[in-house]
Amino acid sequence: MKVGFVGHPPNDIIEKYRSEELIDIDNDLGQVEENSDIYLPKISCSIIKRIFNNALAFRPQKIIFDVGEGKCDSGRFLSWILKEHFNMNIIETRNQNRKGRGTIICDSKLPLREKFDLILNNIIDNKDYELEREPHPRAGFWSVPCWDTGIFDLFPEGTRIFGWTRCFENGTPDDLEIECYVEKDIPTVFYAQTFCSKNLLAKNLARVYRGLYVDCDGRLTASVKAQIEAFLYLRGT
Amino acid sequence: MTVFADFGSTWSKIIDSSVKIIKTKEVPGEIIADFACGHNAEKRSNRYVNELIALSEGGLRLIDEKDFLLVDVGSRDIKYVLYRDGRFVETGWNQECGASQGFAIELLEMYYNIDCNRLELPENGYPVTCGLIGISRIFDEIIKTGDEENALAKFVKGIAMNVYHFTGKPEKMYLSGGLCENRLFIESIPCEVVPLGRFVLVEGLKEIYKKGFC
Repeated sequence: MKVGFVGHPPNDIIEKYRSEELIDIDNDLGQVEENSDIYLPKISCSIIKRIFNNALAFRPQKIIFDVGEGKCDSGRFLSWILKEHFNMNIIETRNQNRKGRGTIICDSKLPLREKFDLILNNIIDNKDYELEREPHPRAGFWSVPCWDTGIFDLFPEGTRIFGWTRCFENGTPDDLEIECYVEKDIPTVFYAQTFCSKNLLAKNLARVYRGLYVDCDGRLTASVKAQIEAFLYLRGT
Repeated sequence: MTVFADFGSTWSKIIDSSVKIIKTKEVPGEIIADFACGHNAEKRSNRYVNELIALSEGGLRLIDEKDFLLVDVGSRDIKYVLYRDGRFVETGWNQECGASQGFAIELLEMYYNIDCNRLELPENGYPVTCGLIGISRIFDEIIKTGDEENALAKFVKGIAMNVYHFTGKPEKMYLSGGLCENRLFIESIPCEVVPLGRFVLVEGLKEIYKKGFC
């Protein structure tokens, strides 16, 4: 049975379906038919559109949809729409876990792309890692998982991960304190998908920590790429 | 001879054996710069430099202050760098919402045969963040009032205010780009504006060459 999930549902629910084919429908699952333009407003963020398109394309028998504060209102409404208008079998969850499992991957010496892969796959391919900590990261990246993963290649190895992705690795997706945790001496890029409410945090954290705030709707634009490159260069990264 | 070029979307600024400004669409194909930034610069140069880095270096070369905001308003975008105490603090590049504002002014001046330098500063401007939307406002205004000059002046004022807001409502800014030659635009920005001309990025490229880095 195909079981989709959205966000970071509680571990005990995931464990119930561990033997099934788990699919993270937040993620890039390859080319699927684009239906979001018909059903969703243009101002929906790229991740919400992707969840919708993936849900329709893969039609999992069940979708475990985290609709708590660890996701967003758009996610909560989309969950309802998929259930009521598209007849999908939705299991709604609210992950309020506070027993953190740590942020070894976020703090490691690995390249950013590899870090994101490990963190996002860790629900399906659940493992404990032993990784060497990067004591002096040259850059920080505060973000949710990005629609365009090309952004990762702009950062040096060992870039420290902050924001919701850090909460995700820790298994505490609605922990605002961890989400807003940043180390002030690390030049940090604060990234949010366009139309995501996390832009409020990104812009203000960037202001306070003298970081670079960027938002991007889907594909990375030349100007966002140039801003990140210039920021890291001019901050001596 | 080392060739430096800032290939803008519509105008290219080139320093080789001479200093020239030519339409980008008319840049001879054989021109390959040693150091270049801008539109298609990766293909037209031996060494591509990020525009924001060129802007920063140009600012450091031309501005004799430790605290400065340098804003480049191009044909299609707005970008800035902010320095405090001689150290880089912040950058921004508005390509989407600042779309084609500089180019729109140039097109409208040509179409209506109006020189912005002759226009009176209007009291208010259109709230425009995009050249294309702004053009619609101009057409509406002209239909309503028949006053092309006033409509263009309001458009320029609107763009100037957009630049001012995008850069955080500063008390002073150094200005780079073709709009340095537009008196109305400069007077429309409600803070002290120091125009540095069209070669700031090229000066940055020269600085990068001199320092032997990037």
